[in-house]
Amino acid sequence: MITCEEFFAEFGDYLEDQVSPEVRKELELHLSQCRACHVLYDSSLKTIKIVTESSSFDLPDSVSNPIIDRVMAKLRTDRS
Amino acid sequence: MSFLSEVQLDDGFAPFVAFRESFGFVPRLLQAQTLLPRVVEAQAKLEGAVRLQEGAISRMQKERILLSIAVDRRDAYCTALDSKVLSSLGASEGQIDSLLNDPRNADLSATDLTCLQFCLKLARHAHSVSSEDVEALRACGFGDEAIFEAVIATALAIYRCTLSVGLGPEPDFAWRTPPAKRISLPHEGASDSLPHVHAAAKGKGPYVPAPYLSPKTFASFDVVKKSHGFIPNFFRAQSLRPDLLDAELQAVDRILVPEDLLTRVQKECILLAVSAANLNSYCVAMHCNLLRGLGMPSEEGDQIAVDYHESNLSEADRALLDFAVKLGTRGPEFSREDVATLRTYGFSEEQILECEVVTALNNFANTLQMGLGIEPDFEPPPAFEQNKVHLSDSAQTPIGGEGVVHLIEVADPDAEWVAQAQGGSLEAFEELVRRHSQLIYRTLAAILGNPADAQDAMQDTLLSAFKHIGGFQGRSKFSTWLVSIARNAALQRLRRGKNVESLDEAAYNDEEEFRPRQVRAWQDDPEQFYSKSEVRQLVERGILALPANYRAVVMLRDIQQLSTEEVAQQLGLSVPTVKTRLLRGRLMLREWLSPHFTANVRGVAQ
Repeated sequence: MITCEEFFAEFGDYLEDQVSPEVRKELELHLSQCRACHVLYDSSLKTIKIVTESSSFDLPDSVSNPIIDRVMAKLRTDRS
Repeated sequence: MSFLSEVQLDDGFAPFVAFRESFGFVPRLLQAQTLLPRVVEAQAKLEGAVRLQEGAISRMQKERILLSIAVDRRDAYCTALDSKVLSSLGASEGQIDSLLNDPRNADLSATDLTCLQFCLKLARHAHSVSSEDVEALRACGFGDEAIFEAVIATALAIYRCTLSVGLGPEPDFAWRTPPAKRISLPHEGASDSLPHVHAAAKGKGPYVPAPYLSPKTFASFDVVKKSHGFIPNFFRAQSLRPDLLDAELQAVDRILVPEDLLTRVQKECILLAVSAANLNSYCVAMHCNLLRGLGMPSEEGDQIAVDYHESNLSEADRALLDFAVKLGTRGPEFSREDVATLRTYGFSEEQILECEVVTALNNFANTLQMGLGIEPDFEPPPAFEQNKVHLSDSAQTPIGGEGVVHLIEVADPDAEWVAQAQGGSLEAFEELVRRHSQLIYRTLAAILGNPADAQDAMQDTLLSAFKHIGGFQGRSKFSTWLVSIARNAALQRLRRGKNVESLDEAAYNDEEEFRPRQVRAWQDDPEQFYSKSEVRQLVERGILALPANYRAVVMLRDIQQLSTEEVAQQLGLSVPTVKTRLLRGRLMLREWLSPHFTANVRGVAQ
């Protein structure tokens, strides 16, 4: 079985689902036997889910509209 | 006398000893490279592993592949040498004559004939090779290793033929010469004479399995990391045969890594331009990325892929690429005069030799990638893919005659509005700004690390975009261009302020190990114990606390949800760098979130 270090070397690609079937098999075998790596994998997946679904840094229209309106008004004034 | 000067090497020079043992003499193709002993070593490594051993296919089968391809390419030098070697292994005069004129009369088994036809197809029309051809080999009893060996022997044949064209050695023997007429391959219709641009979709690779190979036990992966920054599929896909992969990496190490003659950027430009001329999307994507990692703006790399004549390279470097592309793709037109021309641009004999070897290595790699159906690591530049059909037409005619290929505009959903805005329409500009306000804001927030500052910087960004929109040429997507405007606005603001955190490739040491520390298991559905706005605040604070270069990557990938390739394009980073930073950033966020989401924090008791 591969070591934790070897598992970690492939970890980024595994999270992005970008490993070959042969490598995936090795990683999944490791995950089934190593609790620490399993926790790392599970919590990383949850992190990605939480972050992507968090609607973070959504700029509400109430903030962006006045900014855009101000810029457009300036551009129109400059033109005329 | 070959095209370049030669020097006398010591009798004990290991590659020469090896050739004397195998052939009884040192082929002139090797002597013609003595200006640079390390490239002689490179070829000797390849030949030693690929050619000079019995493997899953026999020595005799390999020699037949080499000879047939030399004949097919009208390579007088290799034809003479390889038929002599075949004869020394016991092939009859009659069989060699048949191989020269038509292998179907060479009294070969059906298996051997199928193998030769496969290799000739790969050598002649690499793009048209698909899984069907590989299946035909399997049906004859070829296993994975035999298929791999046939492909790599073909690649070696092309490496040698490219060098023989570029170096022009006298034949070692006044012996067999290629006949005037090329044989036709089975099912070769008129359409096969053009490269099959879309054939790859027909049968997807990879064609042979790639067992897991640990970087710990396979030390040569260090060379890959040194030269590429990560381990591309190109090398992973060859893990079936660590011995062959190892020889290849030793050759790469001797050809690409030293920078005493041509620089790494020059070599990457050669690899990119010749791969593009061979219409090899995999290698184009790879070298565009490597060049971006070496600090070249992505538009410049894309332009080299599409037509380097229109790039910002120096006149000398464009001449270097003219030379390499002609050698790599239009061998029959290449002559001693091309070498003389390149000398007039100030390149030394050693540099010219190195350019030729890099070109040969490129053709080796292009062939191997197509023959093994190696899957891409990242998307090729859209501009290259869209120009491919056009390029494949122009590839049939010598470059320089028909005028240059300009980078055509990339398909962009904003194109119509952009054109109107460039024509002066404020309404069109306003539409574009509203479409992308979220992207602009997030880019600003990522770089400035502060939402309030990002809102302040919005106005500067929009005014700057309006001021410069006339200069946008459609070489990238409009949104990519907007991100670069936002980055500049944000960086200017930071410079006016105090702590500037650079986003450059080298600003942070990505090599430094980041090890996750939190090992407590998380809850199932951990978010359920918090309100949506609590989670959002937590995530925002976590992202703002990241170092700037991780923050930008996480913001664009996980919050704005662009693809890894798009993030790389927008931040002007290589894909491997983005991948490394994304993983680090995500793991740091995981550490940050862990105390809130591990089991029994708020707990089910609530």
